[in-house]
Amino acid sequence: MSSAATTPPSVDKVDGFSRKSVRKAKQKRSQSSSQFRSQGKPIELTPLPLLKDVPAPEQPELFLKKLQQCCTVFDFMDTLSDLKMKEYKRSTLNELVDYVTVSRGYLTEQAYPEVVKMVSYNIFRTLPPSDSNEFDPEEDEPTLEASWPHLQLVYEFFIRFLESQEFQPSIAKKYIDQKFVLQLLELFDSEDPRERDYLKTVLHRIYGKFLGLRAFIRKQINNIFLRFVYETEHFNGVAELLEILGSIINGFALPLKAEHKQFLVKVLIPLHTVRSLSLFHAQLAYCIVQFLEKDPALTEPVIRGLLKFWPKTCSQKEVMYLGELEEILDVIEPTQFVKIQEPLFKQISRCVSSPHFQVAERALYYWNNEYIMSLIEENSSVILPIMFASLYRISKEHWNPAIVALVYNVLKAFMEMNSTLFDELTATYKSDRQREKKKEKEREELWKKLGDLELKRGLRSDGIIPT
Amino acid sequence: METVKLMRELIANFEQERNYLPKETGLSLIESTGENDSRGISAKCRDTKVEDLWSLTSFFGYSTQTFVLAVNLLDRFLAMMKVQPKHLACISISCLHIAAKAVEEERNVSSTNELIRISQCKFTVSDLTRMEKIISEKLNFQLKTITALTFLHLYHGIARSHTADRKEALNLDTLEAQLKACLCRIAFSKAKPSVLALSLLTQEIEATQCVDMLEIAHHVQRHLKIADVELLHWRGLVAKCMSDYSSPECSRPNNKKLVWIVSRRTAQNLHTSHCSVPELPTIPEDCWDESESEDSCEDMSSGEESLSSSLGSDADGPYFPLNFLCQRYRNKYHHTS
Repeated sequence: MSSAATTPPSVDKVDGFSRKSVRKAKQKRSQSSSQFRSQGKPIELTPLPLLKDVPAPEQPELFLKKLQQCCTVFDFMDTLSDLKMKEYKRSTLNELVDYVTVSRGYLTEQAYPEVVKMVSYNIFRTLPPSDSNEFDPEEDEPTLEASWPHLQLVYEFFIRFLESQEFQPSIAKKYIDQKFVLQLLELFDSEDPRERDYLKTVLHRIYGKFLGLRAFIRKQINNIFLRFVYETEHFNGVAELLEILGSIINGFALPLKAEHKQFLVKVLIPLHTVRSLSLFHAQLAYCIVQFLEKDPALTEPVIRGLLKFWPKTCSQKEVMYLGELEEILDVIEPTQFVKIQEPLFKQISRCVSSPHFQVAERALYYWNNEYIMSLIEENSSVILPIMFASLYRISKEHWNPAIVALVYNVLKAFMEMNSTLFDELTATYKSDRQREKKKEKEREELWKKLGDLELKRGLRSDGIIPT
Repeated sequence: METVKLMRELIANFEQERNYLPKETGLSLIESTGENDSRGISAKCRDTKVEDLWSLTSFFGYSTQTFVLAVNLLDRFLAMMKVQPKHLACISISCLHIAAKAVEEERNVSSTNELIRISQCKFTVSDLTRMEKIISEKLNFQLKTITALTFLHLYHGIARSHTADRKEALNLDTLEAQLKACLCRIAFSKAKPSVLALSLLTQEIEATQCVDMLEIAHHVQRHLKIADVELLHWRGLVAKCMSDYSSPECSRPNNKKLVWIVSRRTAQNLHTSHCSVPELPTIPEDCWDESESEDSCEDMSSGEESLSSSLGSDADGPYFPLNFLCQRYRNKYHHTS
C-alpha cells in the first residue's frame, strides 16, 4: 500500500534553490498506514447487544466479548472495503470508552489481559516509512495515520482504563510489562502528532502508576535520545518524551540521584546540538530549568555545556540558546552567577557583535531584564571590561540602526552603574585605538619607502622599471 | 622656555575667563527651584540632563572639550533665560551639537537625525536647528569659550615641564574624567574655571601623593593670586564629589527612562518563550517502592516527597494531587506496590 503522494515536479532538477515547502504546498495532506489485509473474504463480526441493554451480572462477560471483537483490524487505505463493519467497530469502541468512564465493578481479573491484548493488536504496528526521503519536520506537513478513526478511540479507551478508579496496578503489571512499554516507546516515532499526543498521556500514566517500570522507562528514553543525537538525528517524538520528563524532573526528590545528574549532562545537554532543535526546544529548556531549580549546584556544568555547544553557523539556534540562557539566568543564584560570569559574558559579548541583527538584538535585550541587571550591577567590575570593547565598537560599526540605539541603552546603563571604571575603559580604548592607528600609519609609510627604494634601484641599473 | 610661554597663556586666559561665566543670579535661581515646578528648571533637572549629555558625548566619541563646552553653553543660556522644563531636552542637545561643530572635525560630527534618534527625543530636526540659532544669538556667538578644561591643560603642561623625569605623574585623562563628574553638578558652574581646575589638580596631587607637584601648584596659585580661602572652599566640594564618583556603590540605573524597541520577530520570540506552561501533572519520585525494579537506588533518602504513587485517581480532581494531603492514602495503598 502506498500513500497518495504526488510526484514532485521535475523543475527541482534544474533549479537548485526551489524551496521544499513550495513544492509540497500543492500536495494535500497525505495519509498512510501499515495495517493491511490480504485479499480474502470480507470481515464479518456478529453484532452484539449494547452493554446498557444487558443486566449487570452479564455485563463483564459481554465486555470481554466486545474487547475480543475489537481485536479485528481493518484496512483504512482501502476506503471502500468493510464499511459496515468498520462503523460497527467504531461504535463498539465508543461504547467501551463510555462504559469504562462511568461504570463500577466491571473490571474483573480476566478483563486485564483482554484489554491489553485489544490495545496491543490495534496500536502496535510497524510504522509506515516516511513519505519522502527528506521529510523535514519543520517545513513539511506530517503524514497522518489513516486508521485514526479507530485508533483514536483505542487510545482514549486505554487512557480511561488506566485512570479508572478500579484500576489496580498490581494486577495490571503482569500484562503491562517491559515488552509492552518498549513497543509503546517505538510508537513515539509516529509522524501523526495526534497519536504522539495520546501516547504522551498513556506513558505518563503508566510511569506514574507502575513504579517497577520507572527505571526501565527512563533507561529506554535515554537510549532513544542517545541514538537520536549520535546516530540517526531522526525521531519524531522527542518533544513529547521531553514533556513527560519535565513532569518527572519536577517531582524529583532531593538530593538528586547521581543517575539523574548524569542524564542531565550526558543526554539533555548534547540534545541541544541537534539540527532540528526548534521542534522541541521549549520542552527541553523547561527540563533544564526544572533541573536547576531542584539543584542550583548544577548551574555551572549546564552553562558550561551550553557554551561548549554554542552554535557557530546557525543563527536561528543562537537566538534559541539566548532565550534559554535568559530563562536560566532568571532563576540563577548569585553565588552560581559569579562562577560562570566570565565565560558567559565573553559569549554574550560575541553575540552582541554578531552581524545577524536578531542575535545581537536578543543578546542586548538581556539588559532589559531587571534581575539580570541587578546581577550585572553587583559584578560590574568584572563584566564591564568584558563587554566594553565590543559594545563600543559596534556602536560605531554596526549596520543596523536599531541595534545601535539599543547599544546606547546598554552603554548608558553601564555608565550609570560604574562611572569610574567606564571612564577608565573609555580612556584605555581610545589610547589603544590611537596606538593602532599610529602603527598602521607607520606601516603604510614603511611600504611606501620600500616602494620608492625599489623604484630607485631599478632605475639606476639599466633604466628599465622592474615589474 | 616652554614654561614661560605657558605661564603667559595662563595669565591671558585668567583675565578673560570672567567673560564666559554663567550669570550667578541665574544659577542661584535654578538651584532654588523645586523639582516639580513646571515654570522653571530645577538643579536636579539640569544635572540629569548634563549626565545625559555625558552619555551622548561618550557614545558618539566626542572629546571632553566638546562636553565641557556644551555644558558651558547650557549653563550660560539657562542662567540668562527662563526656560520651561519641556524644552530642556531640545536646548541641551542643541548645545551639544553646537559644541561638536565647533570642536570636532566635520566628519566626526554626527547628523542631527542620529542625535535625536539615539537620545530618544521627541522633537524634530527643524526644532533643533531653530533652537541652535536662538542659543547662538543669545550667547552673542561667543562659542569658543575658556573653560576649566583650558586651565587644566595649561596646569598639566606646566607641571609636566617642571618635573625632572618625563614620566607622567599626573594622568590628564583622569583629571578630565573628574572634571566631567564635577560638571554634572550645577554647584560647580559657579566656580571660576581657573579655581576649579586648580582644585582638581591639587586634589589629585594629594591623592597620588606627588610631593614635587605640590610646589608647582602653589607656584601657580601665587602667580594667579588665587586666595587660599577660595581654593579651600572649592577643594572641599571637589573632594566630596570625588568620593561619590569613585565610590564602589553603584547607583541603580534607571532603565525605565530608556525605551527598548525590538524588531517584530524578536518580540514574538520573547512572547512565546514565556508561555510554556506544562500540561502534564508532576509525578513525584518515590525511592522506597522502586526497590522492586532492577536497578534499585543507592540512597534511601527519607523522601520528603514520598507520596505513594499507587493511588487510584479521581476522575475529576487533579490527577496526581501535589499537596501532602495524600499522606493518608500512603498507608492504605502502600502494600499494593
